[in-house]
Amino acid sequence: MPPVSDRPTAPLTASDLKLLRKFEPVVCYTKGEQFFPTAIEHYISECSLWVHHPDGRDELLVKQGELNLEKLIETRPAEFGSVRYLRFIEPLSLTESAQVLANQLLLRRKLGEYFLAGIGRLARGGILPRLLDGLFSLSFLLRGKVSAATAAAAELDYHEMFTEDKTYPYYGRVTRQNGWVILQYWFFFCFNSWRSGFHGVNDHESDWEMVTIYLYEDDGQLVPEWAAYASHDFKGDDLRRRWDDDGELQKVDGSHPVVFAGAGSHASYFRRGEYQAEVNPSLPGWFSGLLHAWNKLWTGPLGQPVINTFHIPFVDFARGDGLRIGPGGSNPWSPVLIDESTPWVGYYRGLWGLFARDPISGENAPAGPMYNRDGSSRGSWYDPLGFAGLDKVAPPPQMEKMLSDNCEKVSRRQEELEKLIPGKAGELQAIGARQKGMEGHPHLAKLYSALEKEINTLSAEVRNLRREYSENTALLQGLTRRLDRLKAGGQDDPRSHIHHLAVPDDPSRVLRFDRAAETWAAISLSLLMFAIAALIFFAPKYIWAGLVIILILFVVAESFLRGAFVQTVGRITLILAMLSALILFLQFWKWIIATTLVAMGISLMYQRLRELTG
Amino acid sequence: MAKRKKSNKKKRPIAVTVIAVAIVVLFLIRLYQVFEPLIRNNVFSIGITSPLLTGWKLTILGSAILSSAIYLILSVVGIVVLIGFLRLRPWSWVLLMAWTGVSLIISLVDYLYLRANFAVMASNVIIAFALNITDVQLIYGIRRDDASSL
Repeated sequence: MPPVSDRPTAPLTASDLKLLRKFEPVVCYTKGEQFFPTAIEHYISECSLWVHHPDGRDELLVKQGELNLEKLIETRPAEFGSVRYLRFIEPLSLTESAQVLANQLLLRRKLGEYFLAGIGRLARGGILPRLLDGLFSLSFLLRGKVSAATAAAAELDYHEMFTEDKTYPYYGRVTRQNGWVILQYWFFFCFNSWRSGFHGVNDHESDWEMVTIYLYEDDGQLVPEWAAYASHDFKGDDLRRRWDDDGELQKVDGSHPVVFAGAGSHASYFRRGEYQAEVNPSLPGWFSGLLHAWNKLWTGPLGQPVINTFHIPFVDFARGDGLRIGPGGSNPWSPVLIDESTPWVGYYRGLWGLFARDPISGENAPAGPMYNRDGSSRGSWYDPLGFAGLDKVAPPPQMEKMLSDNCEKVSRRQEELEKLIPGKAGELQAIGARQKGMEGHPHLAKLYSALEKEINTLSAEVRNLRREYSENTALLQGLTRRLDRLKAGGQDDPRSHIHHLAVPDDPSRVLRFDRAAETWAAISLSLLMFAIAALIFFAPKYIWAGLVIILILFVVAESFLRGAFVQTVGRITLILAMLSALILFLQFWKWIIATTLVAMGISLMYQRLRELTG
Repeated sequence: MAKRKKSNKKKRPIAVTVIAVAIVVLFLIRLYQVFEPLIRNNVFSIGITSPLLTGWKLTILGSAILSSAIYLILSVVGIVVLIGFLRLRPWSWVLLMAWTGVSLIISLVDYLYLRANFAVMASNVIIAFALNITDVQLIYGIRRDDASSL
């Protein structure tokens, strides 16, 4: 672990821009990524501004080609429940859609950068998650969504914009809270193409991503201590890594943290790789309860490992083998300073792209850096410390003093207790002696009973004081040990704060029959449907038994391909055994209960008779 | 005083004995199922005197001999599994679990559509639960320690 003195520093007096430049990240994208950080001015000039009214109407406020930053922030009264949004891609006719999809193919061929999924996400999950995935895909028939043609048009428009302006901007913000100096780097993208481009969860117009660096002051210098990246499925403490955790936080030239961006999603990761982002569909309450009870039985008495069957596996490809933006390369950043007073940051609360009317918001565009989709303030903006779980952590130089103050406070209390406890204990003994003297004198019964109450109260007080003393001793030991370690220059485990570490899939992990498993994953769901259709047609009498048998056969075939045959056969047999046990109980419950009672009676009698006979 | 020799042999859990007994019970039931159709069709007294097939369809005698043959195979497999199981071979655990699974499916289908054989079902349930016991899985090398899965 490198000592703190080895870390890069910036003078306390450095300007905000210099601070941002000193620690700006290096972002590595995946080969095949279609959208990179873009200037908002350019994007807005390509958009139209709309408002969606609560009655379902969409009203055009500013036409495409007429919108600029001034018009974006103009005050316009709106009713409760309305949503203001930008529209990057205007609605396309069928002919236009076909045209843009063809042009997209031509553009990709021209650029020559193709994305290859490798072992696809479907092969990484079991058959049930794939079934749920099918339902998830079908859900788009009911939900609002961004069309494939819109994604294609966005790709073409972005390419045109990039040809005119080949810069990569970030929007940097510097803020100070509780002894920390916080650097936020906001990246704006024209489009999130995770679903259409990389088999992910969603697509939406525009995307905002953020990386934060936390610095503290030491001898007039600012020293980096933490880096936090916004990512799916993680929050609070899990978002940040300590600067000296080289295994997790890679750096260029010692001062530029490396970010691996998810393909299409632009989510940020500390390590290069392919991450399984799981979407857990919301299940009805009664079903969740049932599932919870089943899991309790499954992992408890049956001793089986936990399985999360009801999830949909999606892969976020953060391979880092594509474009690299940042220091040490040929694609530098173009920083832009922002804060609350920046008009488009503070005054535009609407969405930065299409409002797709998706009730679960996955396909709706996000709002800007300062706001959530509903116009409320974004936590990462007003509480950047709490966002990464740092609100409870003091900067290192203050930590020593805080520990020392804590030690002193506890020591003082211990001294107080050392005097207080013997006094109270002595008092208790004196009352006890007095009460003892009353025994055998019936005329003192009233006084005796009053003393009894006093003794009980005092006894509880002494017990509590002794408990406090004992707990304080342990606390003081812990505090002193930590203080000594800090004074000696030692540090905590850099990952002790992490509850769930984002770990990429093992690249060496190859499925048992790689290609066969992949093909099976792609066709199995359809085959299952064909088999069920055949069953309905040819053997309707045996529909339920047939369904179960077909499902079991599919699961066993799947497990064989995934090298989990033993595990799967064990689980299936166990479930069948539980079902059979239930049938046996329903058939022979009288016999089972009577036999159990007789057996218990014999056992009890045997034990008691043994007791009698010695 | 003579030193007691330490045995290197793995101690066989009681569940293994229970499973072995259940396999023997199943073997006896299967053996009955081998002979019962043959006795019913007087094969032992008069031999095979009528054809087994009419066209592509099995005759009553044909299906009786086929079912006897299937049960004979099941009985033989049962004995092989029993020998492997008593010798604590890992393959016998996998084979027995798969065999029990198949047997349970047949029992459940019988229960739903035909006439259930509850003795077979109960024996299979006992075997399935006993095979799932941690000690049994440890001794057959299916589970490496208490914390790890199958």
